[in-house]
Amino acid sequence: MSKPRLANYLAKKRKITWTPKELIEFEDKVKEKWETGTVRGPVHLSKGNEEPLIHIFQYIHQEDWVFSTWRNHYHALLHGIPEDWLMEEILRGRSMKIMNRDYRFATSAIVGGIIPHALGVAMALKRNDYVPSYRGIQNNSGPGSDRKVWCFVGDMTFETGVFHECYKYAKNFDLPIQFIVEDNNLSTNTPTDETWGVKQEIPNDYSESGKLIYYQYERGFPHHGSGSWVLF
Amino acid sequence: MVGDLTTQKEEMQKFQEAEMLKTLDLNYKNELIRSMEWLGEKDDTLFIGQAVKYSGNAMYNTTKTISDDKKIEVPVLEDVQMGMSMGMALEGFVPITCYPRFDFLILATNQLVNHLDKINIISEGQFQPRVIIRTSIGSRIPLDAGEQHTQDHTQAYRSLLKRVDVVTLEESDDIFPAFKHAYERQPLSKYDSLVTLIIEWGDHYNAK
Repeated sequence: MSKPRLANYLAKKRKITWTPKELIEFEDKVKEKWETGTVRGPVHLSKGNEEPLIHIFQYIHQEDWVFSTWRNHYHALLHGIPEDWLMEEILRGRSMKIMNRDYRFATSAIVGGIIPHALGVAMALKRNDYVPSYRGIQNNSGPGSDRKVWCFVGDMTFETGVFHECYKYAKNFDLPIQFIVEDNNLSTNTPTDETWGVKQEIPNDYSESGKLIYYQYERGFPHHGSGSWVLF
Repeated sequence: MVGDLTTQKEEMQKFQEAEMLKTLDLNYKNELIRSMEWLGEKDDTLFIGQAVKYSGNAMYNTTKTISDDKKIEVPVLEDVQMGMSMGMALEGFVPITCYPRFDFLILATNQLVNHLDKINIISEGQFQPRVIIRTSIGSRIPLDAGEQHTQDHTQAYRSLLKRVDVVTLEESDDIFPAFKHAYERQPLSKYDSLVTLIIEWGDHYNAK
């Protein structure tokens, strides 16, 4: 497992209360519920990337936006979403579509779907002198705001055209967004390197822009579920 | 003989074009301009697309009086454009996102169908972005832009979109009320979409 690369300017840190062990225990609870058949929707469990995520989330603040995917439990917990609320959503079969406006947390179950949304939010934050409030919802924007957008994607998504369009746009316009590539070399169970022939290396352009964080890990659970019960 | 037939064919074509021109709505473009100017006065609106700031297609003629500060000219990235419009709406903007031909909107269908149309349901009403999407059925007169620039996919999109309000602007009188409603309408429930797809007729853009 490689250590995530972080830009030097990300100096503002906060304390993360979750430990790797506690994160694993949360997913194990979900696994137990899942295996009873009471969860009426797919679950995509995380395991193996606790330490890099805890490290990254030190730099993600409550007022920042986090965009995630179908595998979002760790991201949600580390962004401060209450454990009980998240578990309730999972039990309702909503694991693939965890959304929380209060915590500025959004996901999509479509590959690459969230990247343009994250880009648009970053564009809005950069122009935030325009908007006094979100139609009654306080957004704490305003000139001088240092809010950021954090967009988590897998390594197969990293190879897609939509990622490259959005990354290029964000870099060229210096938008307040960080992309995090979580590389387990798998898209569902399809190996990224085999299907593309070779995986792209992280070009200097990425690390120098300060907008890309990259880490590798080995996935501790199957793509979805726990390896038993049903496929969907 | 062949020359006579060619002349007759050309005359018939001119006659048909003249008849079509009579049916054009002469006030259509002016009403679009009025609607865009009205939207352009709002603090939270932005105009996004290709040729919103620089000339390049007929739709530009309806946004050229808007201040450049309100326009974001984007590269060719139709699906990203739709998604970024949704993202901006999540932070409170009301994007008027422009696709000058229906044929090009097809390239943004992933974001439109899989995300904008479903975000209210997926988020159980926590996110209700307001986005106004403009597109146009490409004009056939005086120039016929051909099969890839003139299609009308209205029925297909009415079938694909379960919650987005799909509005066609048949007459000039339809135009201002449609845009005003798209900007102002309030949701009846948290599951109501505030996204409107407005379909225009390119043939009318060229009418004076």
